[in-house]
Amino acid sequence: MIAIYICAGIAVYAAIRIIGERNTMRKLPLLNVVSFAVTVIIALLLPHPVTSLAAAAYFVGSTLESNAIASTWSGGIKK
Amino acid sequence: MMDEYVLIACSALVLIGMTAAILHRDPFDKLISLSILIAGIFPFIVDRGYLDVAAATAMIAPLSTIFILYVCRRETI
Repeated sequence: MIAIYICAGIAVYAAIRIIGERNTMRKLPLLNVVSFAVTVIIALLLPHPVTSLAAAAYFVGSTLESNAIASTWSGGIKK
Repeated sequence: MMDEYVLIACSALVLIGMTAAILHRDPFDKLISLSILIAGIFPFIVDRGYLDVAAATAMIAPLSTIFILYVCRRETI
């Protein structure tokens, strides 16, 4: 149970850091920190085997979302 | 099962994402705040045992973000 507490603390701390950060590019690694911590919370919350599938789906989806925001913000391929 | 501390932490994630999405002006900052809000609601879905709903939502929510990104992309190439 202590692992869930630690990961919840990490998620809230990273979310507060995202609010305090002014540069958009510096927010995106902290967004990944929030996603990883929430993935651990999902995986450890219920003692059921399908929980790992939900955690894997959330991990893939959140990483895809963060990378889509980052690549669109940077402007794509420079011609 | 989710006890009080995890519940408070996930509620704090939702409230932080909501406040940041209201206060920010840049659309990319709004999208990042929306990602925090979606990250906050997932443990509540999983806690009730709706694991298939959680997996489906985890696949659908990034699609909505990508559709919003088509609207607010930059034209500076």
